Amino acid sequence: MGNALLFIFVTVVIYYMMKKVYARFYTPLLSPIVTTTLIIVVILLTVHLPYEVYMEGGKWIGGLLGPAVVALAFPLYQYRQTLKRFFWPVVQAVLAGTVVGILSGALFAYVFHLNQKLFLSLLPKSVTSPVAMDIAKAIGGIPTLAAVYVMIAGIFGAIFGPSLLRMFNITHPLGVGIGLGSASHGIGTVKALEIGKEEAAISSIAMTLSAVFAALLCPFFVAVLL
Amino acid sequence: MKRAIVVILQIAGLYGFYLIGTWIQHLFHLLIPGSIIGMILLFLLLITNIIKEEWLGQGGKFLLAHLPLLFVPATVGVIEYISLFQGQGVLSIVDVIVSTIIVMVLSGAIGQWRARKETASPLGNKVSRGMEG
Repeated sequence: MGNALLFIFVTVVIYYMMKKVYARFYTPLLSPIVTTTLIIVVILLTVHLPYEVYMEGGKWIGGLLGPAVVALAFPLYQYRQTLKRFFWPVVQAVLAGTVVGILSGALFAYVFHLNQKLFLSLLPKSVTSPVAMDIAKAIGGIPTLAAVYVMIAGIFGAIFGPSLLRMFNITHPLGVGIGLGSASHGIGTVKALEIGKEEAAISSIAMTLSAVFAALLCPFFVAVLL
Repeated sequence: MKRAIVVILQIAGLYGFYLIGTWIQHLFHLLIPGSIIGMILLFLLLITNIIKEEWLGQGGKFLLAHLPLLFVPATVGVIEYISLFQGQGVLSIVDVIVSTIIVMVLSGAIGQWRARKETASPLGNKVSRGMEG
């Protein structure tokens, strides 16, 4: 019990310190989730503490992910006017993104001869971590790996997304928001907020919708493809 | 202090939605995560005004504000899989990056194309106005 409290405390403290660092330098590479994870991994390796022992405390933090996903209903509700107004463009674009994301992920996994565990873990990479972990669990992947792939998709998209979109002449707030939210979930949405409020609202909608679509479609495609 | 209690109670309420979602998932043997079922359920109850935003909103805001912290323990789990990223595992990262590029460009392009079509519809006299506000 004492250990568990210590691990919770250490995790929270490091996280808030890293949040301060991020506020100072503000680059996606220093996202608190990345730096906090790295620091804790290094600590565990240095003091030879097994992951399961750390999780005696960690599981209490992770246990809040379920209700946090439920809470994603709020941004969707708050932006319901925007959603209503651009319902079909948003739904069609996000749905296309979700399908292509799953299929291209599967295609390259096939081309690269990735083993099945990796393949099933990277399939939900475009959606927010807690949902991706649940999807991975449901389709037989490894939730932790799913979370890592989600981070890679998020950070890559936040760093290169804006120039990528410009390269393809995607400048409309709807296009920019949908692109960032569908491909890079929450981390992309933070980037969208730097571009504009409209982009961020759309990105937030896109991120939530793509989580729902991926949850519905991943199991289906896995059943068809495997 | 009062705010803290409100937040905790509301998180408990959201946890209830999560449990109901999980229960529905198991009852019907669905592959959709219970958390997503709970979210859809809450969204439906919000837009039909059965549940008011302020009943659970503060708890929700709190959880979403600290979302990255919540999955730190999960990402730390990568420690168990470091060996998987050696050898062919590196290609999985290439897969994720290439697929992310495709998703971003394609969904962004479709969104922009459809949005422009919408604002430039024959009946609309607001051509090239884009989005306001």
